Amino acid sequence: MTDKRKSSAIQKRLIPSYIFLIIVCFFSVFPIAWMIISATNNTVDIARGRMWFGDQAMVNFKALLEAASSQGAGTSLGKFMSNSFIYSAAQTVICIFLCSLAGYGFELYHDRAKDKLFGILLMAMMVPGVATLIPLFTMMSKLGFLNTVAGFMLPAISTPFMIMMFRQNSRNFPVDIMEAARIDGLSEWAIFFRMYMPIMKSTYAAAAVITFMNAWNAYMWPRAVMTKNSAQTMQILLTNLSNGYVIDYGLLMMAVLFCSAPTMVIFFVMQKQFAEGITGAVK
Amino acid sequence: MKKKGLTVTKKQQTAGWVFLTPAALLIFIMSFYPMIQAFITSLKTGSGVNLKWGNPIFVNYLKNIPADKTFLRSMGNTFLYLIIEVPIMLILAMLLAQILNNRDLKFRGLFRTMVFMPCAVSLVSYALIFRSLFAREGLINSVLMNLGLISENINWLGTTGTARAVIIIGLIWRWTGYNMVFYLAGLQNIEYSVYEAAKIDGANGWKTFWEITVPLLKPTIVMTAIMSINGTLQLFDESVNLTNGGPANTSITMSHYIWNEAFGQGVGHFGYASAMSFVIFIMVAILAAINLKVGDTRD
Amino acid sequence: MKKKVLAIMLVFAMTAGALTACGVSATSPADSGAAEATEEAAPAEEDAAAEEEAADLGGVSEDPNTLTVAAWDANFNIPALQAAEAAFKAKNPDFKLEINTVSGSSDVENAITNAASAGDYSTLPDIVLFQDHYIQQYVANYPDAWQDLSAANIDWNDFGAEKLSYSTINGTHYGAPVDNGTAIFAYRTDILEQCGYTIDDVTGITWDRWLEIGREVKEKTGKYLLSMDHSGDDLPYMFMQAEGLSQWKNGDPDLVGNETYQKILQVIVDGANDGVILLCNSWSEYTDESIVGDQVAGVMNGNWIIPTIKQVAENSGKWALTTIPTLSGKEGYAANGGSSLYITANCKKLDLAQEFLAYTFGGGEGSMETYDNALKNGGVITCCISAGKSSVYQEPDAYFNGQAIYADIVEMGAHVPVVEQNDFHYNLRNAIGTAITNATTAGGGSDLAAEIQAAQEEIVRQMNL
Repeated sequence: MTDKRKSSAIQKRLIPSYIFLIIVCFFSVFPIAWMIISATNNTVDIARGRMWFGDQAMVNFKALLEAASSQGAGTSLGKFMSNSFIYSAAQTVICIFLCSLAGYGFELYHDRAKDKLFGILLMAMMVPGVATLIPLFTMMSKLGFLNTVAGFMLPAISTPFMIMMFRQNSRNFPVDIMEAARIDGLSEWAIFFRMYMPIMKSTYAAAAVITFMNAWNAYMWPRAVMTKNSAQTMQILLTNLSNGYVIDYGLLMMAVLFCSAPTMVIFFVMQKQFAEGITGAVK
Repeated sequence: MKKKGLTVTKKQQTAGWVFLTPAALLIFIMSFYPMIQAFITSLKTGSGVNLKWGNPIFVNYLKNIPADKTFLRSMGNTFLYLIIEVPIMLILAMLLAQILNNRDLKFRGLFRTMVFMPCAVSLVSYALIFRSLFAREGLINSVLMNLGLISENINWLGTTGTARAVIIIGLIWRWTGYNMVFYLAGLQNIEYSVYEAAKIDGANGWKTFWEITVPLLKPTIVMTAIMSINGTLQLFDESVNLTNGGPANTSITMSHYIWNEAFGQGVGHFGYASAMSFVIFIMVAILAAINLKVGDTRD
Repeated sequence: MKKKVLAIMLVFAMTAGALTACGVSATSPADSGAAEATEEAAPAEEDAAAEEEAADLGGVSEDPNTLTVAAWDANFNIPALQAAEAAFKAKNPDFKLEINTVSGSSDVENAITNAASAGDYSTLPDIVLFQDHYIQQYVANYPDAWQDLSAANIDWNDFGAEKLSYSTINGTHYGAPVDNGTAIFAYRTDILEQCGYTIDDVTGITWDRWLEIGREVKEKTGKYLLSMDHSGDDLPYMFMQAEGLSQWKNGDPDLVGNETYQKILQVIVDGANDGVILLCNSWSEYTDESIVGDQVAGVMNGNWIIPTIKQVAENSGKWALTTIPTLSGKEGYAANGGSSLYITANCKKLDLAQEFLAYTFGGGEGSMETYDNALKNGGVITCCISAGKSSVYQEPDAYFNGQAIYADIVEMGAHVPVVEQNDFHYNLRNAIGTAITNATTAGGGSDLAAEIQAAQEEIVRQMNL
């Protein structure tokens, strides 16, 4: 009884917090809700600001399917989606492997020279994407990597930010067990694969979410390196659809939905691990 | 804090180098090498493949950039976004994290998810959503009209002040949740007992926040600040897809202007564009250095 | 895995062999092909999807009867290309045209820029659609990216001189014209009528008179008499061309001290201030909100805007089109937009490409069929004089109240004056757009002459970068 009264008193005190949160959530969710609603309406209703679900979802979806297939030889909505998935998945796996390896090396084997090198690598974060676009394109073209998953991900599979994240979270890694493992005769590589990776799995989860989202949402670079329509991604399809002489907003919002749904789902599924991983929680 | 008490042998040192080499090498090849090439290009003038060495060699930096009013304006715009957006966003994110860190709060997971949700929407997508919301005949205007707050449609994206405001609103919308997650994570790392102790010492909420939370969150704050400053100074998609830099280049950002000079107008002034991007690089580096100095954390 | 790699190597070796056999490129394609093959093996191992891309990375097809082309706008240019493909099949039944739809003309431009910067054209398709205003500059900047079309069997006299003035560079023909950019001024006759005017009252009038009518229309009906996407404002260019003048003189911008130009800009500024002209922020605002959203009583642009006008079904029969007002009151003719097809350096089937272009868009045997279907399916209007004589062009258009608009447009196209073009066309357009914005009341109402001065300085600065 007393317990209940206490908790209801707390809840009363929290009313301003609830109000504030509800307002913030309204603003953060509203544009997304509007996008989903619009995907079920036609251009005219969208322009008139209709705020409820319509019956055009199938029409818009079919129009999107057709528009996606008419982007050139070998294109379809499925193709763009699978391109985006394959590129993003490949980039995610390789990126978190390389960066965790580096973060592990930088933190758990750190010495003066490695700290210096890390400082230098951080500078790469400040390099503007526009500046390196042409040199990188030239490089990829010479390597024959245009329109390949390699061309898509090479500039993004090793990022200072990811290395930094692994390096920082590695501080929570119990160093003592490394020594114990060495005494047991485990090699440095075995320590990485058999101890570091499982223990740091929440950091891996967070890193995977961030990398996947970045890869999925990448736009400027893929547009340069993917010269063939059948190799392009959802983001490029989306801009193609939004640039015609005549724009169908229902179709466009359906495309936006397709573009956003995967990253939203991934975040929903992974959010617990994500939050833990960012903190560097160790299990 | 945590210098290792163990002696690290030579062999392990080498192993460490092996682990970090692939990533480090890739950064050198994919970031630094192109940047050096861009720097060399930045010393040239002309367009397309007909680039000539500058005369004098730093002509782009010394003469062309200072004389370029549009670039100076784009710089002003970018800093305006930086000065307004980054503090609002980070404070809001901190506030939300602080509220959501309260264990007595119900539906925390739901609230957190909703606040973060904008982050899952791609940059191109959200720019399209905002562009249609703020169109002359868009939803925002019709809502305001129905509420009787305005009598004539506001030309949001076609008026300098409101166009800039829409960009800032968009940025805050898209990125607050992202930063909040970092703060929330940081807060959850702080032991509850620290607060309990502070309470016993009679510290009020405000004092606790400034004297315990902020210092302990410092690394996170520095990191989010660097990321936000860096992201804002390189701001591109919002300017391109939301306002297209308009009206009359009054909302254009530096990266967008550079893109225009290199690709956007048919005249590829690659040398000049590279020089401008180098200016951004230097500015970001300076700001990041200041930031790190202010918030130096490593021992 | 080894087998896969071997297979890919083999494909590349064969392609490389085929390329050397043709012997077009200056650099040795065999070498680069082999290099690609070894490099390609790596990503192919990583991912099966990449493997299928690897085989035809070149942007062209190995099939001797297949050409690739990159173009934009699925509702306009693409149907025209499809029409040409169908027409050419009559001559070459095995012919296939692989069409790559890109998001806009800038994608083609960037692809050329990137390929030229990399010194490797293998990413380009055989043919690209390229917008007229840019081509001179791209030929000047990247001369190696293009192949001469002069040898093709095209009767160049069969095309309007204005159109050819873009794609002919130093006497060499590079492009096969596709659409006719002739500008039209379309009016809503029902709205004019409400104000007591007919289409003849707005034909061959001065801009001053036009502004008067516009103010009246705005007052009585609330509609603008003209709108334009002000983020890429083509009004100054078209207004000047209607006067028979250019914004350029001997390669320099001719704005400051150019009285005609200042008067022209004043018309735009006054129109914007008085609610006669609606300056939109973006292309979508221009088309979707101002035209499809039924806010205007008049539309002036290249004739490719007609499909947009026709989107509003309920206004069928209410439109008529005519020529452009001028300062003196004579009928004005202009052109805007439009593009042509160009053969890139990567095309190894030059004969086939030339034959295809000549036969279809170039006024050959298939041109009547090509252009008739291009008109029917995409609203693309030819600038090929003989093809414009086709019966399809004489048909009355119900949407335009029975006016034979296509014949009228072809006729108008013949009057468009050739004016001086410049590589920095778009830089000028942007600078003048800024000047107009600043000179309107909404943009601060600064002095127009000073703004023109600033714009000219800005263009000169950009030209000297």
